[in-house]
Amino acid sequence: MSCSEPDVTVVVIVYNDAGRLARAVRSVLGQSLAGVEVVVVDDASTDATPRVTAALAAASPDRVRVVTLPENSGGCGRPRNVGIDHARGRYVMFLDSDDTLDPHACRNLVTAAENTGAELVSGRCVRVLPEQEQNWYPSLYRESRVLANILEDPDLLYDTLSTNKCYRRDFLEREELRFVDRLHYEDLLFSAQAYVGARKIAIIPHRVYNWLVIPGGETLSITHRRAELRNFADRLEIHRRIDATFRAHGAAELAKLKNVKFINHDLLLYLRELRSRDPEYRREFLALARSYLGAMDPAVLEECNQMTAIAGFMIREGDVEAAMAAADHAPKKNGPPTLSIEPIEHEGRIYWSEAALESELGRRVLDVTDLGIHSAPLGTLRLGGRLDAMRREGRELFLAGDVINPLGRIDAAVELTGKLEIRDRRRKGRAFRVPVTLRREGARITWQARFVPARRIRPIGLVDQTWGLWLSVKADEDTITVRLTSTGTAHDGVAMPVRPRLSRVVGDHLEAYVAESGELALRIVGRRFPARFTLPLLRRISRTGLGRTWWHALMRAEKAVLGRLTARATKIAVFNRVLVRLPIRKGAVVFESHLGAQYSDNPKYIHRELRERGTPHQAIWSYSTSTRGFPKDAKLVKRGSWAYFRALARAEFWVDNQGFPALLTKRRQTTYIQTWHGSAFKRMGFDEPTVKQSTRNEQLRLRQMIGRFDHFVIRSEHDVRTLIGGLGVTAEPLRAGYPRNDPLVTGGDPEELADLRRRLGLEDDGRTVVLYAPTFRTDENGRPAARFELPFDLDRFARELGDSHVLLVRAHYLSTAVVPPGLRGTVIDVGDVHDVTPLLLLADVLVTDYSSVMFDYALRDRPMIFYTPDGDDYVDRQRGAYFDLAEHAPGPVAGDEDGLFAALADLDGVHRDHADRRRLFVERFGEYDTGTAAKAIVERFFAGGRSG
Amino acid sequence: MAETRDIFMVCNNVEELGGLQRWAHHVARLFALRGHRVHLIGVTHADRPHDYGQDPPYTITTLHERRPPPRRGRLSRLRHRATVRRGAVRLSALFRTARPGGVVIAAQVWAMEWVVRADTAGMPVIGMSHESYTATRQSSRYRRVKRHFAGADLLLALTGADADAWAFDEMSNAAAMPNPLHVTPVSASSRTEPVVVRLGRLSFEKGQDMLLEAWAEVAPRHPSWRLRLYGTGPEEGELRRRAAELRLDASVEFPGATSDLEGALTGASVFALSSREEGFPMSIIEAMAYGLPTVAFDCAPGVRELLTDGHDGLIVTPGNVMEFAAALDRLMDDARLRDSLGEAARVSVTRYAPDAIIDRWERQFALVDRRL
Repeated sequence: MSCSEPDVTVVVIVYNDAGRLARAVRSVLGQSLAGVEVVVVDDASTDATPRVTAALAAASPDRVRVVTLPENSGGCGRPRNVGIDHARGRYVMFLDSDDTLDPHACRNLVTAAENTGAELVSGRCVRVLPEQEQNWYPSLYRESRVLANILEDPDLLYDTLSTNKCYRRDFLEREELRFVDRLHYEDLLFSAQAYVGARKIAIIPHRVYNWLVIPGGETLSITHRRAELRNFADRLEIHRRIDATFRAHGAAELAKLKNVKFINHDLLLYLRELRSRDPEYRREFLALARSYLGAMDPAVLEECNQMTAIAGFMIREGDVEAAMAAADHAPKKNGPPTLSIEPIEHEGRIYWSEAALESELGRRVLDVTDLGIHSAPLGTLRLGGRLDAMRREGRELFLAGDVINPLGRIDAAVELTGKLEIRDRRRKGRAFRVPVTLRREGARITWQARFVPARRIRPIGLVDQTWGLWLSVKADEDTITVRLTSTGTAHDGVAMPVRPRLSRVVGDHLEAYVAESGELALRIVGRRFPARFTLPLLRRISRTGLGRTWWHALMRAEKAVLGRLTARATKIAVFNRVLVRLPIRKGAVVFESHLGAQYSDNPKYIHRELRERGTPHQAIWSYSTSTRGFPKDAKLVKRGSWAYFRALARAEFWVDNQGFPALLTKRRQTTYIQTWHGSAFKRMGFDEPTVKQSTRNEQLRLRQMIGRFDHFVIRSEHDVRTLIGGLGVTAEPLRAGYPRNDPLVTGGDPEELADLRRRLGLEDDGRTVVLYAPTFRTDENGRPAARFELPFDLDRFARELGDSHVLLVRAHYLSTAVVPPGLRGTVIDVGDVHDVTPLLLLADVLVTDYSSVMFDYALRDRPMIFYTPDGDDYVDRQRGAYFDLAEHAPGPVAGDEDGLFAALADLDGVHRDHADRRRLFVERFGEYDTGTAAKAIVERFFAGGRSG
Repeated sequence: MAETRDIFMVCNNVEELGGLQRWAHHVARLFALRGHRVHLIGVTHADRPHDYGQDPPYTITTLHERRPPPRRGRLSRLRHRATVRRGAVRLSALFRTARPGGVVIAAQVWAMEWVVRADTAGMPVIGMSHESYTATRQSSRYRRVKRHFAGADLLLALTGADADAWAFDEMSNAAAMPNPLHVTPVSASSRTEPVVVRLGRLSFEKGQDMLLEAWAEVAPRHPSWRLRLYGTGPEEGELRRRAAELRLDASVEFPGATSDLEGALTGASVFALSSREEGFPMSIIEAMAYGLPTVAFDCAPGVRELLTDGHDGLIVTPGNVMEFAAALDRLMDDARLRDSLGEAARVSVTRYAPDAIIDRWERQFALVDRRL
């Protein structure tokens, strides 16, 4: 083979890496493709590397060549260029001495190149960490693809590595592609040039390159020293050159996309870590970033992700705090966002900062109305808090700071209590808690804590070396989580004594610092004898080969055990084997509505009937996230908790409208009344395509769940044909009608209605109340989309009907809709009202699409409008329906916005013209809803009091 | 000119009546016709051997006279291991007879357990997965595929999409190899008989229950049409009961299994593939070869590899019975649509002509041949 041209030349660059070089070269020599040669380029190593290279060349003289540079180049660029010059293969690849190639890398890359004629083939790179592996931009590598050029998928620009790729050598020569010297991030420029120059690009999903990462290793690799400003300056210089390359190729579109990527990715990377840097660093960073972004066409910002666009905009404005806040809202790995800035309200919309008011662009980029900060339940927001004082006072530690109060949402009248939580950063849920005092100073909320750390904080040592500082603030019924960070230097140099449970050998002080995530944290250090010597020693041992193996095995084992203990599967197993042997508690009734999301629907009205009769039953309500809105006189258990399972195991009755956890066995002594949550328009259960298609086991699981029902409440024979058939219900149909619809027939509780009117600001209001209650839509994965985008113009509603009408918007409980604050009083979001029934009583007209609310509201004999802009697609493609809506609808079906507004403008006509159809609709779909459902059910099951 | 090789094809068994065995005998014959020396090897005998023809141009060997004990419990696991070792010794002896350039094909993962323990005498090993990635992922075979095929020189999946899925799932030896067309039609369907046909085991996976539901939607509109469900299987009783329940006795026929593929397909006008899972559905290939338009659930990448929606068949969202019924309805209503799709199918299926597929095999053999 030495005489013929090899298929591939792999250029392996090395500098002082004698220990790992042989492994890298072996990974090339062991390739399944035979015609592969190695050119090792030694960047003038001073360790044993020359000896290793000589041995490798001697062992495979016809496959390994060694080139040694006369002096060290200080980077990767020059050695790789020398490698290209020495390459003889038709294809060239690059490998770093600390990484390896997959055994089939060359074969897969070359085959793809030959089959497709691509000049550049890219395969999947995997970051290999001691405990796990991470795919590098996996979304790009899901399937084999061929691109005529980079414009067909500009997202490739995100993968800037030069090493997971195979280049035709004549392509490198034609484009005169070489790496730059003396700059970091040479890969970025090289990749950009290669992408833009290649006449055809192929992508393969095969793993080709193992990037072996050693976190926290003594010799940090270049990319890891991101903390150095010089790196950032280099990165900007590389980007300027990439801009020039794209300009030279006339690729303006690509340049724009690249800049979008810079803001979405590169800039964000630095911004996220900026809180852990000192003020001096931040200033210099801002100056550098501002000079680069300032020269950029601001139109780029409008193509970026929302938060990164804001960050870019604020950098241009020179407001680094607001930029860091944007990064807080876009944390790593799609973690929960932290709101660490007080947004402003202006002309009915919400903006990130006042800078918005100065320009058209600012108003577009900084508009964050759709985040729903003004309307989201407080408990769902994670707020930013700051530390501005931290000092030791004798044995005590004193901490103080403030918490943002966005849009003044934390009501001045509400009493605040709170705790400082010192959380184990490795273990979710483990924390030490210390009370804090919260005070209001104008709009600001300040906090203070004082405690003896040695007494309050007892870490184990070694296994829990870092601790995050958080606040948990209770305002009324909402618990708000506050992430703390430091304003600057308040935490500097503060350390306090602590006694780890593994003795003072493993550390004696906790030292404050700001973690790279921006979170204020404490870490265990050794300042005195013996920890000053033993802790570093122990750390070093844990980094040796055997030490590391043992350490990771221990950590893994712990995680596995903890995971097992809290796993749902464990709880279910304990339920089925142990809890069900506990004695039944006579009279205990577990209620649940929509998996614990609400206090509503049929279970609520059965509970209410029980309460009014004063029967000696104990009501237990399940809630999923917050207890807000649940009845105070009932026992509340969190869904999925041990208390929840215990309650279910011992209950005499289960009452719910959707389904208690699958795989739980229902005891014979427990009576399960399944009320269901509405008649069906959309196909359900085994009539749904996804269920039909599912495997036998999945189908059996569903049958097991449904087989537990003892009684199934229905409101018409339509339910028998649809729900009972589709779900495969074997229980006795309970022809009682829906308890939740009793008030729709009898008129409801005037006090409750007055309360609701007051709450919504509708007292003494003569306006026509329009309730818009659509069902959910699914996202691209077929799951209910979290955000419901309103399919008509709310401003138009305000303009045309605002004087005489008020619109209540109620998204399906699985999603939320955001109503801009500017429409306050005219358009009201009623998504957080638990129970829809009082809303139906309040509404003068209902606008819906396919929601089962249509069956209920029809009982009111008021106008109904069906607004179905995505009609055919929704019904035919996604779910399928049990009947033709247009044929039976008890009101006009509007396919577009104009139709909707025309109908709203003529409600009398709508009411008059559809009177017969409404009557028929009720007869067909609600024959048993006669206003006596709750009474009938309670009398049948609960009348005897604590009966058996 | 490609050289002739010793090719060892190792399967679980080579005697049973089944898709894999049919494929194995067919491909063995095609290899032999190219001058290769083919050894078809089964690990065990079948309970009921099928007749795959007299005097095949390849040798057939079975490693174990009796079925190896199942692996339940520690003791039987030891016994199983001893059995495999004995079988592997026989296998090694066979491999030693190979001339340079030989290759080993492990057509199934269970058989691979024997190959892994045998001495392949330096020959490259090609593993195969004869079902879709998703189907394997949901079964206990997944872990064994990952374990036993990881070291194979190649892992061949049935379609490019499945090969990609395996590659993304860390099987970097994955590539694609479709099955060859194994029928040579002398005649094609005239597409005038009012019959919709389905061939295949009557089982949950094959989804005849969904086909019956779809049929219940269309049958009343087409009283002269019949649905013919060929095959036998565990669900037969349940399916007959369901057909009666849906009042379809008059229009649905269960003629049982048939050996007359040509008769079954030429006697129909539409082919219906209602499966929940598939690999590379050979029954679609057969239907295409006989000029039938197909309605199929999009239940595996193989379906899309074979059919182009609207060109030579109609592809339907998995499990969407109404959409399936609507597609059947379209074809039953429209003879010209049947003709255009059916004719297109006959042309496009020639991609899987034996010569083209065997050429691809020989290119793969050259790729894994390490004598240089």
